[in-house]
Amino acid sequence: MSKLVKVTIDGRTVEVPAGTLVTDASRVAEVHGPVFCSPQTLPPLGACRICVVEVGMPKLDANRQPVLAADGTPEIAWMPKVQTGCTTPVADGMHVRTASNTATKARKGVMEFLLVNHPLDCPVCDEGGECQLQDLAFAFGHDSSRMDEAKRTFDSEDLGPIVKKEANRCIVCMRCVRYCDEVMGENALTAHQRGVHTEISSFDRQPLACEQCGNCIEVCPVGALTALPYRFKARPWDLRQHITVCEWCSNGCSVRLGVRGMEILRARGTEFRGVNQEYLCVRGRFGHDFVNAADRLTLPLVRSGAALQPASYDEAIAFAAARLRDIMATHGPDSVAFVGGDKLNIEEQYLFQKLARGVLGTPHVDARTRVASAVAGDAVLRACGGGRPGLTFDALYNANEVLVLFEDLQGEAPLAQAAVVRGFRQRGLHVTVAHPRRVKLARPRFKGDWLAVKPGAELALTLALTKAALDLGLPEGTPADVASALEALKGSLAGWTAEKCQSDTGVSGAAVAAAAQRMRAAAGKALLFGRGVLEHAQAPALVQAIENLAWALGAITATTSSVMAFGAHHDSAGALEMGLTPDTLPGFGRASDAAARATFEKAWGRTLPGAGQPARAAIAAAAEGKVRALWIASDDLLASAADRALVEKALEKCELVIVNEMFLTRTAARAHVVFPVAAFAEKEGATLNSERRLQRSNRALSPRKGARADWEVFQAVAQSLGADWRYRTAEDVFREIARLVPGFQGLSYATLLPDGAVLGEARVAERIVAVDAPSTPAAGDGLWLLSGGTLFADGSQSSRSNTLSKLAGVSRARLSPAEASRLGMAAGDRVELTGPAGAVTLPLEIDDSVPAGAVFVPYAGAELNRLGTPGGSGLRVTARKAAAAAPVGTAG
Amino acid sequence: MSRGPLLFKDIDTPGLRTLDTYRKGGGYDAAAATLGKTPADQVIDVVKASGLRGRGGAGFPTGMKWSFVPKGSPKPKYIVCNADESEPGTFKDRELMEKNPHLLIEGMMLAGYAIGSHTGYIYLRGEFEYIQRIVDVAIAEARKAGILGDNAMGSGYAFQLYTHLGAGAYICGEETALLSSLEGYRGQPRLKPPFPAVEGLYACPTVVNNVETLMAVPHIVKHGAAFYRQWGTEKSAGTKVLSVSGPVKRPGNYEVPLGYSMKSLIENDCGGMRDGLKLKAIIPGGSSVPMLPAADLDTGLDYESMNAKGTFLGSGGVIVIDDRTCIVDALWNITRFYQHESCGKCTPCREGTYWMSEVLERLENGTGRDADIDLLADVADNILGKSFCALGDAAAMPVQGALKHFRAEFEHHVKHKSCMVNRRREEVAGVRA
Amino acid sequence: MSHAPVMPVDGPATLAWTDRAKAEVADVLSRYPVKRSAVLPLLWVAQNEWGWLPPAALRLVAETVGLPESDVFGVATFYTMFNLKPVGRHHLQVCMTLSCSLMGADKLFKHLEKKLGVGHGETTPDGRYTLRRVECLAACGGGPCMQVGFDYHENLDEAKVDALLEKLK
Repeated sequence: MSKLVKVTIDGRTVEVPAGTLVTDASRVAEVHGPVFCSPQTLPPLGACRICVVEVGMPKLDANRQPVLAADGTPEIAWMPKVQTGCTTPVADGMHVRTASNTATKARKGVMEFLLVNHPLDCPVCDEGGECQLQDLAFAFGHDSSRMDEAKRTFDSEDLGPIVKKEANRCIVCMRCVRYCDEVMGENALTAHQRGVHTEISSFDRQPLACEQCGNCIEVCPVGALTALPYRFKARPWDLRQHITVCEWCSNGCSVRLGVRGMEILRARGTEFRGVNQEYLCVRGRFGHDFVNAADRLTLPLVRSGAALQPASYDEAIAFAAARLRDIMATHGPDSVAFVGGDKLNIEEQYLFQKLARGVLGTPHVDARTRVASAVAGDAVLRACGGGRPGLTFDALYNANEVLVLFEDLQGEAPLAQAAVVRGFRQRGLHVTVAHPRRVKLARPRFKGDWLAVKPGAELALTLALTKAALDLGLPEGTPADVASALEALKGSLAGWTAEKCQSDTGVSGAAVAAAAQRMRAAAGKALLFGRGVLEHAQAPALVQAIENLAWALGAITATTSSVMAFGAHHDSAGALEMGLTPDTLPGFGRASDAAARATFEKAWGRTLPGAGQPARAAIAAAAEGKVRALWIASDDLLASAADRALVEKALEKCELVIVNEMFLTRTAARAHVVFPVAAFAEKEGATLNSERRLQRSNRALSPRKGARADWEVFQAVAQSLGADWRYRTAEDVFREIARLVPGFQGLSYATLLPDGAVLGEARVAERIVAVDAPSTPAAGDGLWLLSGGTLFADGSQSSRSNTLSKLAGVSRARLSPAEASRLGMAAGDRVELTGPAGAVTLPLEIDDSVPAGAVFVPYAGAELNRLGTPGGSGLRVTARKAAAAAPVGTAG
Repeated sequence: MSRGPLLFKDIDTPGLRTLDTYRKGGGYDAAAATLGKTPADQVIDVVKASGLRGRGGAGFPTGMKWSFVPKGSPKPKYIVCNADESEPGTFKDRELMEKNPHLLIEGMMLAGYAIGSHTGYIYLRGEFEYIQRIVDVAIAEARKAGILGDNAMGSGYAFQLYTHLGAGAYICGEETALLSSLEGYRGQPRLKPPFPAVEGLYACPTVVNNVETLMAVPHIVKHGAAFYRQWGTEKSAGTKVLSVSGPVKRPGNYEVPLGYSMKSLIENDCGGMRDGLKLKAIIPGGSSVPMLPAADLDTGLDYESMNAKGTFLGSGGVIVIDDRTCIVDALWNITRFYQHESCGKCTPCREGTYWMSEVLERLENGTGRDADIDLLADVADNILGKSFCALGDAAAMPVQGALKHFRAEFEHHVKHKSCMVNRRREEVAGVRA
Repeated sequence: MSHAPVMPVDGPATLAWTDRAKAEVADVLSRYPVKRSAVLPLLWVAQNEWGWLPPAALRLVAETVGLPESDVFGVATFYTMFNLKPVGRHHLQVCMTLSCSLMGADKLFKHLEKKLGVGHGETTPDGRYTLRRVECLAACGGGPCMQVGFDYHENLDEAKVDALLEKLK
């Protein structure tokens, strides 16, 4: 913390850290000062000149004592020229005048200049009403125009499907260009020409080839860049603005939804608050229109013979409760399993498992429907430091070294990627990416290191990294028990010589050693992983190996953690915390531990079952007829589960399938009861993001007619089953969580405002144990199937967003140029992929980020689970050119 | 006949461009005597003592600029020559480099040695491609002769020198914009502080000096501060090359001691006005400085005397304006230049130059209004001191100068919708169809 | 004041350095500790090679220095001497700034317009000349002046220009 200095701004004296810029100090002094070119996320530019102020220092006499005026106040020596507040750091004793005649004239002059070539077409500008230029013209402008010359004009341009450009309105603040460069690392925008002809556009005026995040639109202070999807849809004053948590990924960005009537018309970032400030990714900004989709379910459906028939909510609840009661009566509580729930708010997750464990008495609850092999409920938390105060996005931005394990942040954690890019561009952060594909952060422009691991060798590389880290000795301050556990690991890792590392992982021993060295040496470090690990065929071993590695790298210490895991959905972390796992209760008590169960038994007034089966085993049991009823919470199992054939069989066989859904997904279509539920923006609750920040998720609009919040459905069924549940609001549920669940004590909705609360209490003890070295993947035929998240396609919701589905196009199989030519295929061909369980046919895309010997298909849309379940270190498929008329890989 | 006391003394010596001729005249003697022998600080001291000031326009003391380079910095240091000569009315560096490239090389070596730099770049404006070829030949000669290289003149001091060609942008004469351009960016100025001496090229300590400044250095190092101070005044020491253009009988470059009479320069050296024209106004330091009326002709050509008249010596580009030139028209020309050259980074310069040029166009074309004169003055005032770099000031000052001394011509335009006089228009009108 | 935006003209889809240019490229790259500095010199190499800078040339430069292509586009359009449209064999650049204007540049330009039948920024139909008004060329003492390509011609008048044009085939 730098020392505090006193600065007086318009007569108000405040203390701020030395080096604070005048504009920031003004904010502290509550003096309103306009800023265009230097928003908080970008370093000061000093270009627009709107923030000019008068700056002075006390006059000193020969003895360096302040000269006093007649009234005893120090005399100020004002600088002859006005200064830009955004570039002037305060000095102790500095005086600033923002409203003196000189400062006001200068600012009015700048304001007038900004309007010289501005078209003043506010009536037809989407920014009108929330335009900073408009506001400042109102505050600082002249009341009439002295400029009646012809204005310089540009043609308007559509820069792709998202960005509409009206360059005449541009004030050349460069925010968009700098944001695109420094935060997004996309460099899609640039300034053309110079002087008064400066115009923001793309290379050769081509459509923007970028993430389509629209942050350029967000940061544009005027109407020069506007969003085509929102163009002429509404005036801002007609919109109700609601800040809630985005539900597109685990990063938990704050999003400001603009709602008119029952429709979400747009989403914007939230400058000055949230983990993201103004940032949103393309999904967060343009994907929320799925809520408005015409095919939202509006009535519960109950199966009658072969068909699902509309029913009232009461009928559907009575039906579901009666059938559950029957099945339980005949086959016992073990015959019911609850799966899914990643997308629910934590209150709903809590009630979902409470309904299972506390009302029905079944131990089978698991939100993790996608995984091929189940990880212990607390394993991910352990790998992230067991609950120790962890890595925030801010710390990630401030890190010196970031190690990304097997994850493409672009698709799975866009905000984290932006933090890394900005850290690189503004602070010289170095990133190491271990990934089979050359994902965005592994590209040369980010000057990081890419550990191009062979597909299937992820575990091997993790072990090699651990060995390299331990070869450097133990991190300073390692707790004694951890130290001895790490020492004990060494034997199991001894085989990872540089030669073996090279041959097994494809990465040189030197590169691995250097990566470990960089992480160990870095003062600020970050270790990131996500679905690439959590949904890996060897997930249990990998997660354990990452826990070991994190300790060996010093990424977890006795008191803190620098590890972050990205779950599949916005509340995946909440699902773990709320015990939507068969082996852990809310707060990570072990379900098999009677003492842990006792708290809940006492509160809920019944004995609770012990540990249950993971989702995949429960589905397998259903396929065998052992589990007879499945409740699926907002999860399109047929599309998402690792083994599709098994799900098919389970759905076929089950006597009762209950599905909570917004849409009639293929899974819902196979159910016996479908409850239409509210979208994220239609209900209250709290969610937990990847930095373990618990945030309020607010209702922006009423639920679609006929839909209810999931928790209301769970409560209604519980009540129908005789439970004495009396929650009036989600907040009532939250109060119970705060009362019962370890780690949540003391929290309330009020304490979650404005920016949530980071859970930071070590609650799960570390477990450092050797992981068996993987057997070298058998050299076999075919290509490794690589999958991952992509920005534009994320499943049943993205396919119902007009903008996202337009951007995503059809799902494609991506092959490296070398592999494509080896297979005799070219872009535009259709490729048939055949796995052990089936085949899919997809159009081919040539993608040089994909390694030879592999095929990459995004998770969403392609129904990869038809091919078979990844086992061992992954899944191999064969690829061949399909006949031209083969059916298109269908959307999910 | 010698054309000047120092830089122009031998400038027309046949073959001076070649290493042999240059050496015969004592070239590289200063470098030979200094590199590896005289402590770098002493070189800075002698330059400080000489009173040499930046000849590019700003007139900042050269030795002091050099002394700002942090001694202990582990970063490489750079010496950059500003050969972007682009201030309208200025064409001295072009002739200096064209005729005596080795003097520049020697100046750069000495400057580089003084600040501890081992790499120098000469940033030439894009139009000077032929000068680049000349300088490149000289550099190659010097390299071949062991004057430049890892062991310059056997001194153990390593110095590499390269030319770098701009591509058409006046703003690159501003030192931070020049560095942006040299780094491959759009040539826009950068925030100061940090000043280039601390964070310049590639964020390393960098000194940027004008061609003429650097060319004075070998003479100063060779003959000492007192030698240099034999010319000029106490505060404006040494000589200055003045580029005279406009309708005088003998336009061209003249090297004179600072403080030399402008009247003598125009009337004697340049032979006075041609074609029977009379002097109306004079711009003493490149088009960016306020013009002076003919009455102020007898002013000393030094920094202080010019300041006393409310103008600047600037780059030494003396533009002579005759009595049949319309001042409104001339000012429009100047303003249009700055509008064309504004980099667009800051609002006052980008928009203000456009606006002024539009107003001047209207005035000149006879559709001006009463309020326009005050509007021009106010717009200029709103630019002056509020722009990111000095280009804004450069655009505003001529307007203020013209309005101060020639307001009557503007009023005439408003009242009579035409020029008092306009030789240029008459000539254009006379072009055969 | 009207503004004619730089509208890209197509040109070849891709370009590669010729063998002659490759040597120059290597020399240019060797001069700087940071590759980015080579942008302007490489744009010159490309322009000298192909006469102008089609998008493919800008891409090639971007690739050579490892910069985003948009960035190079922004740089190329900042500087007036880079031709983003094809120019004639002889690029006549007439200085119009004050000193030259005082000495008759406007008259000279008018004369050229009439003689060539083209205006500012235009190329004669035979592709022989492109005429352009430019700002100060640092030849003020020799005004009016004109650069043809890189060659300076000073102290011009109509007769001298006519004679010069005769020589430029």
